[in-house]
Amino acid sequence: MDMETILIVEDEQQIREAVAMALQCEGFNVCEAGTASHAAVQAAARQPDLLIVDLGLPDRDGVDFVRDYRAWATTPILILSARSEEGSKVDALDAGADDYLTKPFGIAELLARVRALLRRRQPDQQAALPTLLFGDYLIDCVNRVVTRAGVAIHLTQIEYRLLAFLAANPGRVLTHRHLLSQVWGGQAVENHQYLRVYVGHLRQKIEDNPAQPRHILTEIGVGYRFQP
Amino acid sequence: MGLAERLYSFDGIFIPGFIASRTMKFLQQSGQAIGYFWAVLGTGLGSLLISPLRHLVDLSNVALLYVLAVVVMAVSFGRGPAVVTALTASLCYAYFFVPPHFSLAITEGQHLLAAIIMLVVALIVSHLTSRLKQHADFTSRKSVESTKLYELTQELAGASTPDVVIELATQFLLASFQARQVRVYFPGDFESASGPASPALLEQCIQRHELLSRPTSQGRFYALIPLAAASSSQGVLGFEVEAATLGSQDAVEHIETVASIVAVALERSYFAEKARQTEIKHAAETLRSSILSALSHDLRTPLTALVGMAETIALGKVPADKQQQTLEAIRNQAVSISQQMTNLLEMAKLSAGKFQLNLAWQPVEEVIGATLQQVATEWKNRAVTVDLAKDLPPINIDAVLIERVLWNLVENAIKYSPAATPVEILVRRVDEEMEIAVCDSGTGISSANTEQLFELFQRGKTESEIPGVGLGLSIAKTIVEAHGGSIAAQNRDGCGSCFRVRLPLGNPPCFEEMDGPA
Repeated sequence: MDMETILIVEDEQQIREAVAMALQCEGFNVCEAGTASHAAVQAAARQPDLLIVDLGLPDRDGVDFVRDYRAWATTPILILSARSEEGSKVDALDAGADDYLTKPFGIAELLARVRALLRRRQPDQQAALPTLLFGDYLIDCVNRVVTRAGVAIHLTQIEYRLLAFLAANPGRVLTHRHLLSQVWGGQAVENHQYLRVYVGHLRQKIEDNPAQPRHILTEIGVGYRFQP
Repeated sequence: MGLAERLYSFDGIFIPGFIASRTMKFLQQSGQAIGYFWAVLGTGLGSLLISPLRHLVDLSNVALLYVLAVVVMAVSFGRGPAVVTALTASLCYAYFFVPPHFSLAITEGQHLLAAIIMLVVALIVSHLTSRLKQHADFTSRKSVESTKLYELTQELAGASTPDVVIELATQFLLASFQARQVRVYFPGDFESASGPASPALLEQCIQRHELLSRPTSQGRFYALIPLAAASSSQGVLGFEVEAATLGSQDAVEHIETVASIVAVALERSYFAEKARQTEIKHAAETLRSSILSALSHDLRTPLTALVGMAETIALGKVPADKQQQTLEAIRNQAVSISQQMTNLLEMAKLSAGKFQLNLAWQPVEEVIGATLQQVATEWKNRAVTVDLAKDLPPINIDAVLIERVLWNLVENAIKYSPAATPVEILVRRVDEEMEIAVCDSGTGISSANTEQLFELFQRGKTESEIPGVGLGLSIAKTIVEAHGGSIAAQNRDGCGSCFRVRLPLGNPPCFEEMDGPA
């Protein structure tokens, strides 16, 4: 089987080389780009399976690049951001990026994220089934019932929708905006406190220790990540 | 300056204040029309009514009755109506009471004398009474004005920025003069002035040192008054008022007093602002030199080690098992330098005063959970226990920054206590604050002055094998104080230390839960 191709878009040569080396050691094909325009050419020519994009590019805003790229491809995108780019990180995720890493990041962490994104890209056998499984929980999407080890858990409509959406996107960062528009609808995207309150309720109901959640993890300043 | 020198015009040229509305003053007097009406008709009718009784009442008493009427008129309507009453009264006296009756003719010299004396007395009394009334009115108005001015001065004394001064002045002008469109034109923005005031008029106002006004619409005037303070002119105060407000010299003087109070307050706030900026500049300077010394001392050492280790590996003479160990050490060293860099940058950003709190109401568990997640990736085997009080309200915080505080505290606790002991996080409500305590079972704090720990580049022990430059706690302090909270450190009974963060609770917004069973 052919190994996946990964396009690294990063203007800092040192970081680009370090990441490329680590990925090549893991057997991935790697192509590199130092600017957004070069990246667009590479992406069209090489048809990569994953993009790693740094937000601080010399010729264009990384967020714009992500938005444009999303218009024609669904390939997963992993964002690399410096600490000072908190805001644009969220913008990039809203624009369609799939995950992010804050510099400085460890190579182990990077490889784990890359594998997770590539795995998710494969069509999931489970997707066709109307049930979602995590831990000892089962979500029956037909009857809209959540059970834990066979015992039904009482959820409100919104809590159910929130949990079902989170569980359907395991391992993925979901921004506040994204969750609000999916669960509440487009007009509610700014009401972050709604979301926080409902996540709080949901954690009370499904987490053993709501202060140290195992499933609904907080990505501070960004959103939530569901861990099955 | 004489009255004649003051400009007077109605077609858009600014005109000195109090003449502008002479006409209005006249209209104001129309309230006195009723007084004149009573003076003539009341006196006439009254005389006609009493005239049948002229045989019973002595002529001198009648004269006194008229004098009484004059006094009453003087008190109620002022001088004009009182004088008219006096004149009408003497005519009525002659016509109705002095024989021959129903004729103005006075045959006896004595009666003529009585009529004249009555007129003179009435005139003098009316003059004195109305003057007294004017004086009393004036005094009570002045006393109200000075009370208000005093209050304004007191309020302005507390104003620390020019914006607050202008805000207070606006409120005062609205309350006292029903003034609208209050605006302060600073010398810098004369050129761009628009609306009722033009650059030329503002210049003129400054040069003439007096109140200028111009009619706007519906009997209102736009007034401009220079704000002259001790050291320099602070600008021009512009506002729109009813014409009657500018109707007297007295009122103009009052406005001028207000303007000078505002000018002094503006000047003071300007200097206060300047002092504050100098202080900030000084603090930034201190910070810069501290950062330089921190960089040279605390970062150069680990960097030297790093280069040394890397070169040793590059020589290729290190046995395989040692090689792995050295590479690990290089990685850890680099991570620690990177963290210190992050701290330095963060501190520079925070102390530049450029950061903005991104406040949002959220459950505190959320931030604690995120911190623990991070701890778990860094220290896999370190136990952190969390004790949350029940029913904690949501709290209005910048989650990213507060997480940074907690991370710094937990990281400290982990670094300075034995690996086998747990770090504890305790959250509870204390009065109107939420207290988050991060406690460890380490050696505790050695220095007696725990306050010092939170200062820049302060470390518990100056020579320590534990890496760091002493920024974590001062970052935590800056962030917590920006939230209106406080942070304190203390040793625990037994062993170890506790760092307590207190954040104000405030009033969380209510929101409707439009939700039903799934």
